Amino acid sequence: MSEQDEDLELQALQRELDDAFATTRPRRGYEDELWLTIQQQRPVTNRLWGSLAAFWQSVRQAPAMPAAAVAAVLVVAIGVGLFASGLHPGGGASHMSGSPALSEDTSRNGTTQFGPNSFGQLPQPGGAKSVSGPPPQAVSGTPEYYGPAQLVWSGSADISTNSAPVFRYQEPTSVQADQFAGSLGARLVDRQAGNLGYYSTPTYTLAVRGTVQAPPANPAYFIASVSIPPVNAAGASAQDIATIFLAEHNLLPQWKYTVSVDASGDPVRVHFDRIFTVPGYGNGDSYLVDASGARSGLEVDISGRRPVLVIGPLPVTLDTAYYRIVSPANAVQAAPSSPSGPTIRLTQAELVYVLVPAGDHSFYEPAYLMSGTLDIGGTQMVKHVLVPAIDPSQRAK
Amino acid sequence: MGRIYAYVRAQVGSSADAEDITAQVFVNAYQAYPRFEPRNTTPAAWLFRIARNATLDHFRASGRRDRLQRTIQHQPMAEEDPAGKAEERIQYRALLARVAQLPERQRDAISLRHSGLSFDEVGKLMDCSEDAAKMLYHRALKALREVVQREGV
Repeated sequence: MSEQDEDLELQALQRELDDAFATTRPRRGYEDELWLTIQQQRPVTNRLWGSLAAFWQSVRQAPAMPAAAVAAVLVVAIGVGLFASGLHPGGGASHMSGSPALSEDTSRNGTTQFGPNSFGQLPQPGGAKSVSGPPPQAVSGTPEYYGPAQLVWSGSADISTNSAPVFRYQEPTSVQADQFAGSLGARLVDRQAGNLGYYSTPTYTLAVRGTVQAPPANPAYFIASVSIPPVNAAGASAQDIATIFLAEHNLLPQWKYTVSVDASGDPVRVHFDRIFTVPGYGNGDSYLVDASGARSGLEVDISGRRPVLVIGPLPVTLDTAYYRIVSPANAVQAAPSSPSGPTIRLTQAELVYVLVPAGDHSFYEPAYLMSGTLDIGGTQMVKHVLVPAIDPSQRAK
Repeated sequence: MGRIYAYVRAQVGSSADAEDITAQVFVNAYQAYPRFEPRNTTPAAWLFRIARNATLDHFRASGRRDRLQRTIQHQPMAEEDPAGKAEERIQYRALLARVAQLPERQRDAISLRHSGLSFDEVGKLMDCSEDAAKMLYHRALKALREVVQREGV
Protein backbone atom coordinates (compact mmCIF):
# COMPACT_ATOMS: atom_id res chain seq x y z
CA MET A 1 0.00 0.00 0.00
CA SER A 2 1.36 3.43 -0.93
CA GLU A 3 1.88 6.11 1.67
CA GLN A 4 -0.88 8.13 0.04
CA ASP A 5 -3.35 5.24 0.24
CA GLU A 6 -2.42 4.70 3.86
CA ASP A 7 -3.03 8.36 4.63
CA LEU A 8 -6.42 8.21 2.94
CA GLU A 9 -7.36 5.12 4.94
CA LEU A 10 -6.35 6.77 8.18
CA GLN A 11 -8.29 9.91 7.29
CA ALA A 12 -11.36 7.80 6.55
CA LEU A 13 -10.96 6.06 9.89
CA GLN A 14 -10.68 9.42 11.64
CA ARG A 15 -13.92 10.54 10.03
CA GLU A 16 -15.63 7.35 11.18
CA LEU A 17 -14.33 7.92 14.68
CA ASP A 18 -15.59 11.51 14.60
CA ASP A 19 -19.01 10.22 13.59
CA ALA A 20 -18.94 7.46 16.17
CA PHE A 21 -18.09 9.82 19.03
CA ALA A 22 -20.44 12.53 17.79
CA THR A 23 -23.42 10.20 17.58
CA THR A 24 -22.92 7.97 20.58
CA ARG A 25 -25.39 9.25 23.10
CA PRO A 26 -27.25 7.67 25.99
CA ARG A 27 -30.74 6.31 25.63
CA ARG A 28 -33.78 8.50 26.05
CA GLY A 29 -34.70 9.12 29.64
CA TYR A 30 -31.13 8.74 30.86
CA GLU A 31 -30.72 12.46 31.48
CA ASP A 32 -33.79 12.50 33.70
CA GLU A 33 -32.42 9.60 35.70
CA LEU A 34 -29.05 11.30 35.98
CA TRP A 35 -30.71 14.47 37.18
CA LEU A 36 -32.47 12.48 39.87
CA THR A 37 -29.18 10.85 40.81
CA ILE A 38 -27.53 14.21 41.23
CA GLN A 39 -30.50 15.52 43.19
CA GLN A 40 -29.91 12.79 45.73
CA GLN A 41 -26.73 14.67 46.62
CA ARG A 42 -28.88 17.72 47.35
CA PRO A 43 -27.15 20.21 49.62
CA VAL A 44 -28.70 22.62 52.08
CA THR A 45 -29.63 25.48 49.81
CA ASN A 46 -32.40 25.37 47.28
CA ARG A 47 -31.13 28.39 45.39
CA LEU A 48 -27.99 26.59 44.33
CA TRP A 49 -30.05 23.78 42.94
CA GLY A 50 -32.23 26.24 41.11
CA SER A 51 -29.13 27.32 39.24
CA LEU A 52 -28.01 23.78 38.68
CA ALA A 53 -31.44 22.95 37.38
CA ALA A 54 -31.10 25.82 34.93
CA PHE A 55 -27.78 24.35 33.83
CA TRP A 56 -29.33 20.96 33.40
CA GLN A 57 -32.16 22.42 31.40
CA SER A 58 -29.68 24.15 29.12
CA VAL A 59 -27.86 20.88 28.53
CA ARG A 60 -31.09 19.14 27.68
CA GLN A 61 -32.17 21.84 25.28
CA ALA A 62 -28.84 21.98 23.49
CA PRO A 63 -27.51 18.46 23.18
CA ALA A 64 -25.02 19.50 20.52
CA MET A 65 -23.47 22.19 22.70
CA PRO A 66 -19.67 21.86 22.73
CA ALA A 67 -18.39 20.29 25.91
CA ALA A 68 -16.38 23.37 26.71
CA ALA A 69 -19.52 25.46 26.58
CA VAL A 70 -21.43 22.89 28.60
CA ALA A 71 -18.69 22.87 31.17
CA ALA A 72 -18.67 26.65 31.21
CA VAL A 73 -22.39 26.73 31.86
CA LEU A 74 -21.94 24.14 34.59
CA VAL A 75 -19.26 26.21 36.26
CA VAL A 76 -21.19 29.44 35.88
CA ALA A 77 -24.39 27.86 37.14
CA ILE A 78 -22.69 26.38 40.17
CA GLY A 79 -20.68 29.54 40.77
CA VAL A 80 -23.71 31.79 40.60
CA GLY A 81 -25.62 29.44 42.83
CA LEU A 82 -22.90 29.44 45.43
CA PHE A 83 -22.63 33.22 45.27
CA ALA A 84 -26.36 33.65 45.63
CA SER A 85 -26.47 31.26 48.54
CA GLY A 86 -23.81 33.18 50.37
CA LEU A 87 -21.43 30.24 50.41
CA HIS A 88 -17.83 30.77 49.40
CA PRO A 89 -16.90 28.69 46.39
CA GLY A 90 -13.39 28.05 47.57
CA GLY A 91 -11.78 30.50 45.24
CA GLY A 92 -13.32 29.22 42.05
CA ALA A 93 -15.60 32.15 41.45
CA SER A 94 -12.83 34.66 41.76
CA HIS A 95 -11.06 33.00 38.84
CA MET A 96 -14.02 32.78 36.55
CA SER A 97 -13.12 35.87 34.58
CA GLY A 98 -9.67 34.45 33.99
CA SER A 99 -11.02 31.72 31.76
CA PRO A 100 -11.74 32.82 28.21
CA ALA A 101 -14.45 30.20 27.84
CA LEU A 102 -16.28 31.66 30.81
CA SER A 103 -16.00 35.33 30.04
CA GLU A 104 -19.05 35.53 27.81
CA ASP A 105 -21.42 32.85 26.73
CA THR A 106 -24.72 33.92 25.33
CA SER A 107 -26.91 32.31 22.77
CA ARG A 108 -28.09 34.62 20.04
CA ASN A 109 -29.66 33.63 16.78
CA GLY A 110 -28.47 30.08 17.18
CA THR A 111 -24.85 31.04 17.72
CA THR A 112 -22.82 30.76 20.88
CA GLN A 113 -20.77 33.82 21.64
CA PHE A 114 -17.44 33.49 23.41
CA GLY A 115 -15.04 36.08 24.78
CA PRO A 116 -12.44 37.88 22.66
CA ASN A 117 -9.89 35.63 20.96
CA SER A 118 -11.54 32.55 22.45
CA PHE A 119 -10.78 30.43 19.41
CA GLY A 120 -7.05 30.88 20.07
CA GLN A 121 -4.77 31.76 17.21
CA LEU A 122 -6.53 31.72 13.90
CA PRO A 123 -5.28 29.65 10.98
CA GLN A 124 -3.41 31.28 8.15
CA PRO A 125 -5.78 32.15 5.32
CA GLY A 126 -5.00 31.52 1.70
CA GLY A 127 -3.33 34.93 1.63
CA ALA A 128 -4.16 38.25 0.14
CA LYS A 129 -4.94 38.02 -3.51
CA SER A 130 -6.06 39.90 -6.50
CA VAL A 131 -9.49 38.61 -7.30
CA SER A 132 -9.83 36.72 -10.54
CA GLY A 133 -12.13 39.31 -12.02
CA PRO A 134 -14.42 42.09 -11.01
CA PRO A 135 -16.94 40.77 -8.47
CA PRO A 136 -20.34 40.55 -10.17
CA GLN A 137 -21.79 43.10 -7.79
CA ALA A 138 -19.05 45.56 -8.86
CA VAL A 139 -19.27 45.19 -12.63
CA SER A 140 -19.46 48.65 -14.12
CA GLY A 141 -18.15 48.11 -17.60
CA THR A 142 -14.68 49.20 -16.56
CA PRO A 143 -12.11 46.54 -17.50
CA GLU A 144 -10.24 44.78 -14.72
CA TYR A 145 -6.49 45.24 -14.43
CA TYR A 146 -4.64 41.96 -13.87
CA GLY A 147 -1.04 43.08 -14.20
CA PRO A 148 1.56 43.69 -11.52
CA ALA A 149 1.03 46.76 -9.37
CA GLN A 150 2.10 48.57 -6.26
CA LEU A 151 -0.92 49.02 -4.09
CA VAL A 152 -1.43 51.85 -1.63
CA TRP A 153 -4.47 52.80 0.35
CA SER A 154 -5.66 56.38 0.03
CA GLY A 155 -9.33 56.19 0.81
CA SER A 156 -11.47 56.35 3.90
CA ALA A 157 -13.52 53.46 5.20
CA ASP A 158 -16.66 53.66 7.29
CA ILE A 159 -15.20 51.60 10.12
CA SER A 160 -15.28 52.80 13.71
CA THR A 161 -14.27 49.58 15.43
CA ASN A 162 -10.99 47.78 15.89
CA SER A 163 -12.53 44.35 16.38
CA ALA A 164 -14.97 42.19 14.46
CA PRO A 165 -16.64 38.83 15.03
CA VAL A 166 -15.07 35.65 13.73
CA PHE A 167 -17.41 32.72 13.27
CA ARG A 168 -16.37 29.11 13.71
CA TYR A 169 -18.12 25.90 12.78
CA GLN A 170 -17.29 22.27 13.19
CA GLU A 171 -16.93 20.25 10.02
CA PRO A 172 -20.24 18.46 9.44
CA THR A 173 -20.31 14.69 9.41
CA SER A 174 -22.15 12.27 7.19
CA VAL A 175 -24.57 11.77 10.07
CA GLN A 176 -25.45 15.46 10.02
CA ALA A 177 -25.82 15.27 6.26
CA ASP A 178 -28.19 12.33 6.70
CA GLN A 179 -30.19 14.26 9.28
CA PHE A 180 -30.44 17.24 6.94
CA ALA A 181 -31.50 14.99 4.07
CA GLY A 182 -33.96 13.23 6.34
CA SER A 183 -35.57 16.55 7.22
CA LEU A 184 -36.28 16.95 3.50
CA GLY A 185 -37.64 13.44 3.23
CA ALA A 186 -34.71 12.34 1.09
CA ARG A 187 -33.34 8.80 1.05
CA LEU A 188 -29.64 7.93 1.01
CA VAL A 189 -28.52 6.56 -2.33
CA ASP A 190 -24.78 6.55 -2.14
CA ARG A 191 -21.68 7.99 -0.54
CA GLN A 192 -18.82 8.80 -2.84
CA ALA A 193 -15.45 10.35 -2.19
CA GLY A 194 -15.75 14.09 -1.81
CA ASN A 195 -19.37 14.07 -0.74
CA LEU A 196 -21.11 13.37 2.53
CA GLY A 197 -23.98 11.74 0.69
CA TYR A 198 -26.22 11.52 -2.32
CA TYR A 199 -29.95 11.32 -1.68
CA SER A 200 -33.14 11.17 -3.63
CA THR A 201 -36.76 12.14 -3.33
CA PRO A 202 -39.54 11.52 -5.84
CA THR A 203 -38.94 14.92 -7.43
CA TYR A 204 -35.28 15.80 -7.00
CA THR A 205 -31.83 14.56 -6.14
CA LEU A 206 -29.82 15.97 -3.31
CA ALA A 207 -26.07 16.02 -2.76
CA VAL A 208 -24.37 17.19 0.43
CA ARG A 209 -20.68 17.94 0.70
CA GLY A 210 -18.40 19.28 3.40
CA THR A 211 -15.96 22.16 3.34
CA VAL A 212 -13.78 22.45 0.25
CA GLN A 213 -10.22 23.53 0.97
CA ALA A 214 -9.34 25.17 -2.33
CA PRO A 215 -10.85 27.30 -3.56
CA PRO A 216 -12.52 27.66 -0.18
CA ALA A 217 -16.19 26.73 -0.12
CA ASN A 218 -18.46 26.12 2.84
CA PRO A 219 -20.40 22.89 3.45
CA ALA A 220 -23.25 22.91 0.99
CA TYR A 221 -26.24 21.09 -0.33
CA PHE A 222 -27.22 20.84 -3.97
CA ILE A 223 -30.75 20.16 -5.14
CA ALA A 224 -31.04 19.32 -8.80
CA SER A 225 -34.21 18.42 -10.60
CA VAL A 226 -35.98 18.16 -13.84
CA SER A 227 -39.20 16.99 -12.26
CA ILE A 228 -40.07 19.53 -9.61
CA PRO A 229 -43.53 20.71 -10.65
CA PRO A 230 -43.93 24.35 -11.69
CA VAL A 231 -44.96 26.73 -8.96
CA ASN A 232 -48.52 27.81 -9.67
CA ALA A 233 -48.74 31.30 -8.29
CA ALA A 234 -50.25 33.88 -10.57
CA GLY A 235 -47.92 36.75 -11.27
CA ALA A 236 -45.12 35.25 -9.21
CA SER A 237 -41.65 36.53 -10.04
CA ALA A 238 -38.55 34.33 -10.07
CA GLN A 239 -37.79 35.61 -6.59
CA ASP A 240 -41.30 34.68 -5.45
CA ILE A 241 -40.96 31.18 -6.92
CA ALA A 242 -37.60 30.68 -5.25
CA THR A 243 -38.96 31.90 -1.93
CA ILE A 244 -42.04 29.67 -2.17
CA PHE A 245 -39.92 26.60 -2.95
CA LEU A 246 -37.51 27.31 -0.09
CA ALA A 247 -40.33 27.97 2.35
CA GLU A 248 -42.11 24.76 1.36
CA HIS A 249 -38.95 22.82 2.19
CA ASN A 250 -37.99 24.80 5.31
CA LEU A 251 -34.88 25.98 3.52
CA LEU A 252 -35.38 29.74 3.78
CA PRO A 253 -32.15 31.14 5.23
CA GLN A 254 -32.14 31.62 8.96
CA TRP A 255 -29.35 34.17 8.50
CA LYS A 256 -29.62 37.79 7.37
CA TYR A 257 -29.57 38.30 3.61
CA THR A 258 -30.44 40.49 0.69
CA VAL A 259 -31.87 39.16 -2.55
CA SER A 260 -30.53 39.89 -6.00
CA VAL A 261 -31.83 38.48 -9.27
CA ASP A 262 -29.81 37.83 -12.40
CA ALA A 263 -32.37 37.65 -15.19
CA SER A 264 -29.88 38.03 -18.00
CA GLY A 265 -30.36 34.45 -19.18
CA ASP A 266 -32.20 31.21 -18.67
CA PRO A 267 -32.24 30.02 -15.97
CA VAL A 268 -32.89 33.13 -13.94
CA ARG A 269 -30.65 33.11 -10.90
CA VAL A 270 -32.01 34.26 -7.55
CA HIS A 271 -29.26 34.98 -5.04
CA PHE A 272 -29.77 35.20 -1.30
CA ASP A 273 -26.56 36.98 -0.35
CA ARG A 274 -25.48 36.22 3.18
CA ILE A 275 -24.80 39.07 5.60
CA PHE A 276 -22.83 39.00 8.83
CA THR A 277 -23.47 41.80 11.27
CA VAL A 278 -20.43 43.81 12.35
CA PRO A 279 -21.09 46.50 14.95
CA GLY A 280 -19.09 49.62 14.12
CA TYR A 281 -18.98 49.05 10.38
CA GLY A 282 -21.28 51.17 8.22
CA ASN A 283 -24.84 50.00 8.78
CA GLY A 284 -23.47 46.77 10.22
CA ASP A 285 -23.93 44.66 7.10
CA SER A 286 -20.92 42.72 5.89
CA TYR A 287 -21.41 40.32 2.99
CA LEU A 288 -19.95 36.87 2.68
CA VAL A 289 -17.87 36.63 -0.50
CA ASP A 290 -16.15 33.77 -2.26
CA ALA A 291 -12.55 33.61 -3.41
CA SER A 292 -13.39 35.75 -6.43
CA GLY A 293 -14.94 38.44 -4.26
CA ALA A 294 -18.45 37.58 -5.43
CA ARG A 295 -21.17 37.69 -2.81
CA SER A 296 -22.13 34.26 -1.63
CA GLY A 297 -25.01 32.58 0.12
CA LEU A 298 -27.83 30.60 -1.39
CA GLU A 299 -28.74 30.41 -5.06
CA VAL A 300 -31.92 29.19 -6.70
CA ASP A 301 -32.04 28.81 -10.48
CA ILE A 302 -35.49 29.14 -11.97
CA SER A 303 -36.46 27.96 -15.42
CA GLY A 304 -40.01 27.57 -16.74
CA ARG A 305 -41.42 28.60 -13.36
CA ARG A 306 -39.64 25.66 -11.77
CA PRO A 307 -36.58 25.55 -9.53
CA VAL A 308 -34.00 23.52 -11.44
CA LEU A 309 -31.02 23.96 -9.14
CA VAL A 310 -30.60 25.05 -5.55
CA ILE A 311 -27.17 25.53 -3.98
CA GLY A 312 -27.18 26.49 -0.34
CA PRO A 313 -25.00 26.30 2.74
CA LEU A 314 -25.53 23.24 4.91
CA PRO A 315 -26.86 24.54 8.23
CA VAL A 316 -24.12 24.48 10.84
CA THR A 317 -23.88 25.90 14.32
CA LEU A 318 -21.66 28.98 14.48
CA ASP A 319 -19.63 29.99 17.50
CA THR A 320 -18.63 33.63 17.69
CA ALA A 321 -15.59 35.38 19.12
CA TYR A 322 -14.27 38.88 18.51
CA TYR A 323 -10.78 39.47 17.14
CA ARG A 324 -8.80 42.63 16.48
CA ILE A 325 -8.80 43.89 12.92
CA VAL A 326 -6.35 46.22 11.23
CA SER A 327 -7.14 49.28 9.17
CA PRO A 328 -7.35 49.09 5.38
CA ALA A 329 -4.03 50.97 5.21
CA ASN A 330 -2.31 48.23 7.21
CA ALA A 331 -4.22 45.41 5.57
CA VAL A 332 -3.16 46.43 2.07
CA GLN A 333 0.46 45.80 3.01
CA ALA A 334 -0.36 42.08 2.84
CA ALA A 335 -1.54 42.40 -0.73
CA PRO A 336 0.68 41.17 -3.56
CA SER A 337 2.75 44.10 -4.73
CA SER A 338 5.28 44.41 -7.51
CA PRO A 339 7.64 47.35 -7.92
CA SER A 340 7.64 46.78 -11.67
CA GLY A 341 3.98 47.70 -11.96
CA PRO A 342 2.14 50.98 -11.77
CA THR A 343 1.07 52.42 -8.45
CA ILE A 344 -2.65 51.94 -7.87
CA ARG A 345 -4.38 53.97 -5.24
CA LEU A 346 -7.09 51.89 -3.65
CA THR A 347 -9.84 54.21 -2.57
CA GLN A 348 -12.67 51.90 -1.61
CA ALA A 349 -12.72 49.18 1.02
CA GLU A 350 -15.72 47.02 1.82
CA LEU A 351 -15.56 44.88 4.93
CA VAL A 352 -16.60 41.39 3.83
CA TYR A 353 -16.38 37.87 5.20
CA VAL A 354 -14.40 35.03 3.69
CA LEU A 355 -14.16 31.36 4.52
CA VAL A 356 -10.89 30.05 5.94
CA PRO A 357 -10.97 26.24 5.99
CA ALA A 358 -8.96 24.65 8.77
CA GLY A 359 -9.66 20.94 9.05
CA ASP A 360 -11.99 19.96 11.88
CA HIS A 361 -13.11 23.55 12.33
CA SER A 362 -13.33 26.30 9.75
CA PHE A 363 -13.84 30.01 10.13
CA TYR A 364 -15.69 32.91 8.57
CA GLU A 365 -13.43 35.88 9.14
CA PRO A 366 -13.42 39.53 8.08
CA ALA A 367 -11.49 40.76 5.06
CA TYR A 368 -11.33 43.88 2.96
CA LEU A 369 -12.49 43.86 -0.64
CA MET A 370 -10.60 46.88 -1.93
CA SER A 371 -10.66 48.60 -5.26
CA GLY A 372 -9.06 51.48 -7.10
CA THR A 373 -8.75 52.73 -10.64
CA LEU A 374 -5.79 53.44 -12.88
CA ASP A 375 -5.20 54.76 -16.35
CA ILE A 376 -3.33 52.55 -18.80
CA GLY A 377 -2.63 54.20 -22.13
CA GLY A 378 -5.70 56.37 -21.85
CA THR A 379 -7.95 53.50 -20.80
CA GLN A 380 -9.56 53.61 -17.40
CA MET A 381 -9.17 50.28 -15.57
CA VAL A 382 -10.09 48.99 -12.14
CA LYS A 383 -8.22 46.77 -9.71
CA HIS A 384 -9.88 44.60 -7.05
CA VAL A 385 -8.00 42.91 -4.26
CA LEU A 386 -9.14 40.81 -1.29
CA VAL A 387 -6.99 41.12 1.84
CA PRO A 388 -7.42 39.68 5.34
CA ALA A 389 -8.57 42.16 7.98
CA ILE A 390 -7.55 40.12 11.02
CA ASP A 391 -4.57 41.51 12.93
CA PRO A 392 -1.75 39.14 11.87
CA SER A 393 -0.48 38.86 15.45
CA GLN A 394 -3.53 36.68 16.17
CA ARG A 395 -2.53 34.10 13.59
CA ALA A 396 -0.86 30.78 14.17
CA LYS A 397 2.72 30.94 12.92
CA MET B 1 -22.94 15.46 28.77
CA GLY B 2 -23.18 13.57 25.49
CA ARG B 3 -19.47 13.88 24.81
CA ILE B 4 -18.56 12.68 28.27
CA TYR B 5 -20.88 9.73 27.80
CA ALA B 6 -19.34 8.90 24.39
CA TYR B 7 -15.83 9.07 25.85
CA VAL B 8 -16.75 6.74 28.68
CA ARG B 9 -18.67 4.47 26.35
CA ALA B 10 -15.58 4.00 24.17
CA GLN B 11 -13.61 3.02 27.25
CA VAL B 12 -15.91 0.45 28.74
CA GLY B 13 -17.75 -0.93 25.73
CA SER B 14 -21.02 -1.34 27.61
CA SER B 15 -23.88 1.13 27.72
CA ALA B 16 -24.94 0.22 31.23
CA ASP B 17 -21.44 0.73 32.61
CA ALA B 18 -21.12 3.97 30.64
CA GLU B 19 -24.33 5.30 32.16
CA ASP B 20 -23.18 4.52 35.69
CA ILE B 21 -19.79 6.10 35.18
CA THR B 22 -21.22 9.20 33.47
CA ALA B 23 -23.53 9.75 36.42
CA GLN B 24 -20.57 9.42 38.75
CA VAL B 25 -18.62 11.94 36.67
CA PHE B 26 -21.23 14.65 37.12
CA VAL B 27 -21.68 13.94 40.80
CA ASN B 28 -17.90 14.10 41.22
CA ALA B 29 -17.76 17.30 39.15
CA TYR B 30 -20.23 18.99 41.43
CA GLN B 31 -18.37 17.88 44.52
CA ALA B 32 -14.98 18.84 43.08
CA TYR B 33 -16.02 22.24 41.80
CA PRO B 34 -14.64 24.19 44.79
CA ARG B 35 -11.21 22.85 43.83
CA PHE B 36 -11.55 23.73 40.16
CA GLU B 37 -8.77 26.07 39.11
CA PRO B 38 -9.55 27.58 35.68
CA ARG B 39 -6.08 29.05 35.33
CA ASN B 40 -4.63 25.57 35.12
CA THR B 41 -7.05 23.84 32.80
CA THR B 42 -10.00 24.36 30.53
CA PRO B 43 -13.45 23.38 31.82
CA ALA B 44 -13.63 20.65 29.17
CA ALA B 45 -10.28 19.17 30.14
CA TRP B 46 -11.30 19.36 33.78
CA LEU B 47 -14.47 17.35 33.14
CA PHE B 48 -12.61 14.82 31.01
CA ARG B 49 -10.00 14.36 33.74
CA ILE B 50 -12.82 13.53 36.14
CA ALA B 51 -14.29 11.18 33.55
CA ARG B 52 -10.95 9.49 33.03
CA ASN B 53 -10.44 8.98 36.74
CA ALA B 54 -13.96 7.66 37.16
CA THR B 55 -13.36 5.18 34.35
CA LEU B 56 -10.12 3.98 35.89
CA ASP B 57 -11.88 3.60 39.24
CA HIS B 58 -14.53 1.55 37.50
CA PHE B 59 -11.97 -0.79 36.00
CA ARG B 60 -10.22 -1.20 39.29
CA ALA B 61 -13.47 -1.93 41.09
CA SER B 62 -15.00 -4.30 38.61
CA GLY B 63 -12.08 -6.49 37.79
CA ARG B 64 -9.72 -5.35 35.15
CA ARG B 65 -8.39 -8.86 34.75
CA ASP B 66 -11.61 -10.18 33.25
CA ARG B 67 -11.76 -7.36 30.76
CA LEU B 68 -8.16 -7.83 29.75
CA GLN B 69 -8.84 -11.50 29.21
CA ARG B 70 -11.73 -10.66 26.92
CA THR B 71 -9.53 -8.23 25.05
CA ILE B 72 -6.81 -10.81 24.54
CA GLN B 73 -9.36 -13.29 23.25
CA HIS B 74 -10.85 -10.61 20.99
CA GLN B 75 -14.30 -11.24 22.27
CA PRO B 76 -16.71 -8.42 21.80
CA MET B 77 -18.07 -6.84 24.94
CA ALA B 78 -21.44 -8.06 26.05
CA GLU B 79 -24.09 -5.75 24.67
CA GLU B 80 -27.34 -7.50 25.42
CA ASP B 81 -28.46 -5.23 28.21
CA PRO B 82 -31.67 -3.22 27.67
CA ALA B 83 -29.83 0.09 27.80
CA GLY B 84 -27.55 -1.08 25.04
CA LYS B 85 -30.45 -2.13 22.87
CA ALA B 86 -32.02 1.26 23.30
CA GLU B 87 -28.89 3.12 22.33
CA GLU B 88 -29.15 4.90 19.02
CA ARG B 89 -26.60 4.84 16.22
CA ILE B 90 -25.82 1.20 16.59
CA GLN B 91 -23.67 1.22 13.49
CA TYR B 92 -20.84 2.81 15.43
CA ARG B 93 -20.95 0.49 18.38
CA ALA B 94 -18.67 -2.01 16.74
CA LEU B 95 -16.06 0.62 15.99
CA LEU B 96 -16.12 1.84 19.59
CA ALA B 97 -15.82 -1.76 20.73
CA ARG B 98 -12.64 -2.01 18.65
CA VAL B 99 -11.37 1.15 20.32
CA ALA B 100 -12.06 -0.47 23.67
CA GLN B 101 -9.80 -3.37 22.67
CA LEU B 102 -6.74 -1.14 22.28
CA PRO B 103 -4.10 -0.88 25.01
CA GLU B 104 -5.10 1.58 27.68
CA ARG B 105 -3.04 4.59 26.63
CA GLN B 106 -3.85 4.21 22.95
CA ARG B 107 -7.53 3.87 23.77
CA ASP B 108 -7.33 6.97 25.91
CA ALA B 109 -5.56 8.99 23.24
CA ILE B 110 -8.15 8.19 20.61
CA SER B 111 -11.10 8.70 22.92
CA LEU B 112 -9.92 12.02 24.28
CA ARG B 113 -8.91 13.35 20.89
CA HIS B 114 -12.20 12.42 19.23
CA SER B 115 -14.09 13.84 22.17
CA GLY B 116 -12.91 17.21 20.96
CA LEU B 117 -9.84 17.87 23.07
CA SER B 118 -6.71 19.43 21.59
CA PHE B 119 -3.45 17.47 21.60
CA ASP B 120 -2.20 19.87 24.23
CA GLU B 121 -5.13 18.96 26.47
CA VAL B 122 -4.76 15.26 25.70
CA GLY B 123 -1.08 15.46 26.64
CA LYS B 124 -1.81 17.21 29.91
CA LEU B 125 -4.45 14.65 30.83
CA MET B 126 -2.11 11.80 29.99
CA ASP B 127 0.92 13.38 31.64
CA CYS B 128 2.94 13.72 28.47
CA SER B 129 3.91 16.45 26.04
CA GLU B 130 1.72 17.63 23.18
CA ASP B 131 4.13 16.02 20.67
CA ALA B 132 4.08 12.75 22.58
CA ALA B 133 0.28 12.84 22.59
CA LYS B 134 0.29 13.30 18.82
CA MET B 135 2.64 10.37 18.33
CA LEU B 136 0.65 8.20 20.67
CA TYR B 137 -2.57 9.12 18.89
CA HIS B 138 -1.18 8.31 15.46
CA ARG B 139 0.21 5.00 16.67
CA ALA B 140 -3.18 4.23 18.17
CA LEU B 141 -4.90 5.13 14.92
CA LYS B 142 -2.69 2.75 12.98
CA ALA B 143 -3.23 0.02 15.55
CA LEU B 144 -6.99 0.54 15.30
CA ARG B 145 -6.85 0.37 11.53
CA GLU B 146 -5.04 -2.96 11.75
CA VAL B 147 -7.66 -4.32 14.13
CA VAL B 148 -10.45 -3.14 11.85
CA GLN B 149 -8.79 -4.61 8.77
CA ARG B 150 -8.19 -7.90 10.55
CA GLU B 151 -11.51 -8.29 12.28
CA GLY B 152 -13.86 -5.90 10.55
CA VAL B 153 -16.25 -3.49 12.15
